[in-house]
Amino acid sequence: MITLVTGGTKCGKSGYAEKLIDRLSCPKYYIATINPVGDYAQEVIAKRMKMHTQKKYVTIECPRDIAYADIPIGSAVIVEEIGRLCANEMFVDGRILRTVDKIVSGLELIGAKASELVIVANDISRDGISYSPELMEYIKEMGEISRRITAFADNVIECVYSVPVALKGSALLD
Amino acid sequence: MIMVTGGAYQGKLDFVCRHFGLESSDIANGSTCDFEEAFSAKCIKSYHRFIARLIAHGVDCVQFTERLCAENKDAIIILDEIGCGIIPVEKAERKRREITGKCGCIIAKNSDDVIRVTCGLPVYIKGGNQ
Repeated sequence: MITLVTGGTKCGKSGYAEKLIDRLSCPKYYIATINPVGDYAQEVIAKRMKMHTQKKYVTIECPRDIAYADIPIGSAVIVEEIGRLCANEMFVDGRILRTVDKIVSGLELIGAKASELVIVANDISRDGISYSPELMEYIKEMGEISRRITAFADNVIECVYSVPVALKGSALLD
Repeated sequence: MIMVTGGAYQGKLDFVCRHFGLESSDIANGSTCDFEEAFSAKCIKSYHRFIARLIAHGVDCVQFTERLCAENKDAIIILDEIGCGIIPVEKAERKRREITGKCGCIIAKNSDDVIRVTCGLPVYIKGGNQ
C-alpha cells in the first residue's frame, strides 16, 4: 500500500504517517530527506531522533538520490519529506535542475520493494504570494511531483489541523 | 466545541452566523478582544490572529488553547488555514505558523465537529454530516 500524506505546517502529517506504520510488525525504515545544515534542521532532527529511538525505526539520511536508499524487501517505509528532497535535488551549485522524474522514479522503486510506503509532502502552494521566479519554479515542481505521486498512490490523505481528509482512497485511521 | 476553518475570506463567519443562528454580539473578534473574553464567548473569529497577539504578549499559546478547550467547551472557534505555503525565512514568522498549527490541532481534537468552508461551501471533515 502506498499513501501520500500532504497538508500545511504542523498539521499532523508526521504523526499520521507514523500511526500508519506503527500498526505493522515488519522492519520500519525512515528515509530522512532533511539537509542537516542550520538551526532549524537541527531542531527538526533532534525531535525526530527522539521519536525514532522510542519506536525503533532505522533511519537512512537521504538528502538526495533516494533511489539508492537500501530498503529491504517487505519493510515499512516513511519518506519525509518531499519538499526538502525537491529543494535539495533542485538547487545545486547555483543551478536549477529538473527533479520530477528522478524523485518520482525513486519513490516508485522504494514502493516496489516496501510492503507499506508512506510519503510525506508539504503543501506549499496556497499562500497566494508571488515569490521570485526560482521559488515559483520550485512550487511548480512540487505541484507536478504531488500529482505524479497521486497517480500511483493508493491513498492520498490531506491533514487539516490533524483531521485526516481522504482525497483518494481512504483514511485508514480516525 | 466546534471548529470552523478554511482559507481567508471563504465565508466561514457567514456560515457560522447562518447555521448556528449567531448575532454579531455573540462573536468575539480574535484581532481585538480581551484575552479573557475567549473563555466565555459563544464564538471567537480569527483565532489565528488571536494566537499572533498571544505570542506578542509572551503568552504560552498551547497552554492557553488547552485551557480554552477545557473551560469553554461549547464555543465555536473560527480560524484560517495558514500553513499551506513556503516556509518563511524569518524565524518569528515560522514559529507563528507552527504554533498556529499546534493550536489548531488541539482545537480540532477537542471539537465534535470540524467544518472546512471553501468558496462558501461547508464540508464536515470531522463529525457532523460527514
